Amino acid sequence: MSDYIIRAKGIKKYFGGVKALDGVDLEIKKGEVHCLAGENGCGKSTIINVISGFYTPDGGELEIDGVSYPKMTPQQSIAAGIQVIYQDLSVFPNLTVMENLALNMELASGRKFVSKKRFREIAKEAVAKINFEIDLDEKVENLSVADKQLIAISRALLNNAKLIIMDEPTTAITKKEVRALFSVIRDLQKQNIAILFVSHKLDEVFEIAERFTIFRNGKNTGAGDASELTQEKFTYYMTGREIKETPFVYEEKPGAQKVLEIKNLNLKNGFKNVNLSLGEGEILGITGLLGSGRTELVQALFGYHKADSGEIYIRGNKVEINTVKDGIKNGIGYVPPERIVEGVFLPQSIKENISIEKWDEWAGPLGIMNEKKIEEVVNEWVEKLRIKLHDINDPMNTLSGGNQQKCVLAKWLILDLNVLILNGPTVGVDIGAKFDIYELVKKLAANGLSVIIISDDIPEILSNCNRVIVMRRGEIVKEGLTKDMDEASLAEFAVAD
Amino acid sequence: MRLPVPRQSLRGGVESSGETDAPADSGAASGGGTLEAFTPADGSPVAVNSIYKPAADPSDWTIAVVVKDSSNGWFVRMEEGVKQFADDYGINAYQKGPVATDAAQQVEVIENQINQDIDAICVVPVDPATCDTVLQDAKDKGIKVICHEGSSANCDIDLEAFSNAGYGAYIMDNLAEAMGEEGTYVTMVAHLTNASQNEWADGAVARAEEAYPNLVNLEASPRVESENNSERAYEVAKEVLKTYPEVKGFVGTSSMDTPGIARAIDELGLNGKVFVCGTGMPNECRELIKSGSIHSAQLWDPAEAGYAMCVMATMMLDGQTIGAGTDLGLASYSDMIVNADNSNIVEGAGWISLKADNVDNYSF
Amino acid sequence: MNNKTKKILHSSEFYVGVIIVLFCLLIQMRSGQFFTGNNLVDIIRSFSIPVMFCVGELMVLISGGVDCSFPAIASLSMFVVCKYMENVTTSPLPFFLVAALIGLVFGILNGVIIGKYRFPALIVTLGTSSICWGVMQGVFQSREYPLCPTLLAVGKAKLLTATNAETGLSSDLPMITVFMVLLLLLGWFILNKTMLGRGIYAIGGDIIAAKRAGFNVFGTTVFIYAFSGMMAGIIGVFRACMLQAVHPNNLEGLEMTAIAACVLGGVSITGGKGTVLQACLGMLLLTIVSNSLILLGISTHWQNVVTGLIIIAGTAATAIQNQRNAKKLAVKLTES
Repeated sequence: MSDYIIRAKGIKKYFGGVKALDGVDLEIKKGEVHCLAGENGCGKSTIINVISGFYTPDGGELEIDGVSYPKMTPQQSIAAGIQVIYQDLSVFPNLTVMENLALNMELASGRKFVSKKRFREIAKEAVAKINFEIDLDEKVENLSVADKQLIAISRALLNNAKLIIMDEPTTAITKKEVRALFSVIRDLQKQNIAILFVSHKLDEVFEIAERFTIFRNGKNTGAGDASELTQEKFTYYMTGREIKETPFVYEEKPGAQKVLEIKNLNLKNGFKNVNLSLGEGEILGITGLLGSGRTELVQALFGYHKADSGEIYIRGNKVEINTVKDGIKNGIGYVPPERIVEGVFLPQSIKENISIEKWDEWAGPLGIMNEKKIEEVVNEWVEKLRIKLHDINDPMNTLSGGNQQKCVLAKWLILDLNVLILNGPTVGVDIGAKFDIYELVKKLAANGLSVIIISDDIPEILSNCNRVIVMRRGEIVKEGLTKDMDEASLAEFAVAD
Repeated sequence: MRLPVPRQSLRGGVESSGETDAPADSGAASGGGTLEAFTPADGSPVAVNSIYKPAADPSDWTIAVVVKDSSNGWFVRMEEGVKQFADDYGINAYQKGPVATDAAQQVEVIENQINQDIDAICVVPVDPATCDTVLQDAKDKGIKVICHEGSSANCDIDLEAFSNAGYGAYIMDNLAEAMGEEGTYVTMVAHLTNASQNEWADGAVARAEEAYPNLVNLEASPRVESENNSERAYEVAKEVLKTYPEVKGFVGTSSMDTPGIARAIDELGLNGKVFVCGTGMPNECRELIKSGSIHSAQLWDPAEAGYAMCVMATMMLDGQTIGAGTDLGLASYSDMIVNADNSNIVEGAGWISLKADNVDNYSF
Repeated sequence: MNNKTKKILHSSEFYVGVIIVLFCLLIQMRSGQFFTGNNLVDIIRSFSIPVMFCVGELMVLISGGVDCSFPAIASLSMFVVCKYMENVTTSPLPFFLVAALIGLVFGILNGVIIGKYRFPALIVTLGTSSICWGVMQGVFQSREYPLCPTLLAVGKAKLLTATNAETGLSSDLPMITVFMVLLLLLGWFILNKTMLGRGIYAIGGDIIAAKRAGFNVFGTTVFIYAFSGMMAGIIGVFRACMLQAVHPNNLEGLEMTAIAACVLGGVSITGGKGTVLQACLGMLLLTIVSNSLILLGISTHWQNVVTGLIIIAGTAATAIQNQRNAKKLAVKLTES
């Protein structure tokens, strides 16, 4: 018997000429919560695939619970007690909770026919392991991400798991749900089940993990006890560069006209009696739970929803914003959280994506585009935002998430905006690109652009906004300057009932 | 393939069925017929009564007939007519065609033929427009060009078995006979947008109005669609008979209509009470005709068309003009009419009617 | 309202069902003939062949694919056996076996290409379809052909004859409808009662998750298309039996009808969702519409327009339901 559930030494994995893993170590003790961090492409998913038996390493030693596996199949990995919960959770949205829980087990035991009775027994056993209360006959697509996650965890436990690998489990769930997840993780720990927790968020690592391992470009850059970590070290291990955050300082010019003012804005089932104002060059943070009305509020400003009542003033003039076109006309830009779904045409070229909102203006007679003008302006913004790309005519999907996000920003910055709204601007973005985006937004604000940032990440808001509002059940429950606030009290306002 | 009894079949259903009040332009009774032109294959191949005696020595002439698809039963039947012509007239006439219905392959076959020192070519085009260029080449070489079932812009003349209106009238004559010249009838077409089928149906309706005062086209639903699908024809016929019990007759225009309607009549137990006449292929209608579900199926005989084309080619080679009243030596092609819209098209009265007693003469 | 009633009210089956009932009542009121034995038999008969094709199409749609090749596969199988086996045997069974075999070969071809290379199913099946029509025309010289007596007898075999006492008209319910019922039951059984069937749903829901869960994704994909192809072969021969003639192009375009019926009934075109009942209801509505417009006294000129309107009305029931959910605002205000 070994103290370690996993001991991986000098693991190498090459794809063609690319060294995805260039001799990394990863050691996880039994029953510990271990954090694995690193930027996209650092080799995190490759090591997960090695441990779960999907990839055979090209070098190094892999030991599970004291047994050495020179070559391992996925079935052997499962038999040894390894379970992976992928970021996409691998649930079937179109099937019921019961089926999602039972199908894997039934397949593994070679069943050919469906028995609802046996399915239900398996499902009940699974949810009982984490005291998870859920309607077993509900379709999974009707559940929240957090519930889907618990289903994936329950399912993993059915196989007598000794190690559960969770790939970025907190990206798509709210603060409150993260807490619930952590308490489940602690329960599992009590049952001597180890957790490999993949995350970028330092506060989470501090809270839950005992030890950490960080990769960069297929190599170990740091490992040790989580308590020794600091933000600077954490960022440095991941990115290889020192990133110094400069807090955002804003000085209101006395007597200056407000860029945006909202009076008594209402939207049924969205928000009510919202009053707020935004000065030139100000960065306003909006936080609150998913479903607090924060997204509906900014979508109403952008014209995606039409407010039921209330008034909107842009630079002192009352305006009607009923459609997205009205929003754009009034100089309001909106960068959605699901940029891939809402803001980007992935197969189209970068150039087209950036310039699309200007096509009307740049089209000559007969609708022929002034290509030269387009390229000139696009290149200018690519340079300003430091978007890493090969050619502006390449399709959008050749870029990384962070660079895509910058392109979406560029699309709006080309327009002469009054207000730029960023909804969850750094979700799923690498830590390096994340800081680039912050620096950029701060620079834009310094040049006079007014910005609204919506985020779950309270530290992010505190360090990048000068003012913050907290929404709950469609109402503003707290408003103030960020320098007067701290993380804990803000979080309290967001969740309090 | 068994050779049908040509004499009878070539005289056409008109005569053999004992039909007396044939349409005026059918030419069934008019003289000059080549009743002896088709003798059984084992009989003596002498053109006893041909109206046409070529002035030049015809034995030097070569006539090629190029069809859509040499293996198709329809064209196998046509070849019988071409061979018969060759025997009757002592002129070298033969038939060729691609192995599959393919416009490009057919152009190749035509090219091969015009390079072989032929004097006339008769084409049944897969796609008339595709043949335009190669037929122009033929004309440039002094070859006479005749088309059938579709006319290329570059043919000298297009021979069609009948006029659309005349064929419709012929179907109606048959239906009238079946219905005892009284009752309500419905016409069926593949689609209301199909040009020739609707002209046939119009011809049938016009004939009824003119000659059979007691035949009434159903007012509520005078014309229905089969979508060129015999199952659909069956369903629609049933629905019509359920909704309008007064309907006693159907005119089918597409070859899918007639057997479909017949199956409906049969299943509903209306054999002998409701009648259908219309376009139909022998193989498909044989059983239904014999069982009495189809009163008679109409079509034109490809052998006659093949024969008539060759006769026409011979006349053209001889320098005669083809026009209204031209007699091609077959009863049903003895008084050609010129199409009103396109003077390049001449039409015969080449329809035949399939009944229980003659359907077995045809095997396509 | 209890949970079960709520679920039924939110299901697309319910709305399509309501539309069917309303439409039937309308026809009954106008013609007085809808609910007569012979008319119902006519509808079942006309429903039988297309709905059998729907079973295979349904499985393919649930898996996230689409099959446009079954009419061509059915036609080719039908033509080959009807033309070349008529003098070989006097038992109908070998005809169906050989047709099933031919269909199976093309189905497996579809399944292997789609399963192995993940090419778009639409393109692959359109390709197979083209090959089948081409082989039928080029190699086998297809054209209308008389049906041999063995199969004629199958087509004429009837389960019962419904005679309308009033009009004296009678309609036969062909024996083939027994096979239809069996096939529908088989489809239901496979989809709901076997792990294979649940695998089809799993693949349609999330193909990567299905692989991780241990489903044999390739094998399942091959099965779906092979099943669709094999059934197409058999149904093709049934169609010839019912037509009492071999019409090589009779089935052309039926792929659209089958897909439309499935979607109309509530089967998701993007995969993962659909039931045999939904496919049946969709096809039933299409069948009733196409067999009742004359009964309703609608002139031929307007029939296509009316058909279109009813299809849109049927689809709207499901589409509106979905749209309501799409733009629904998340916030529940406690007051107001």
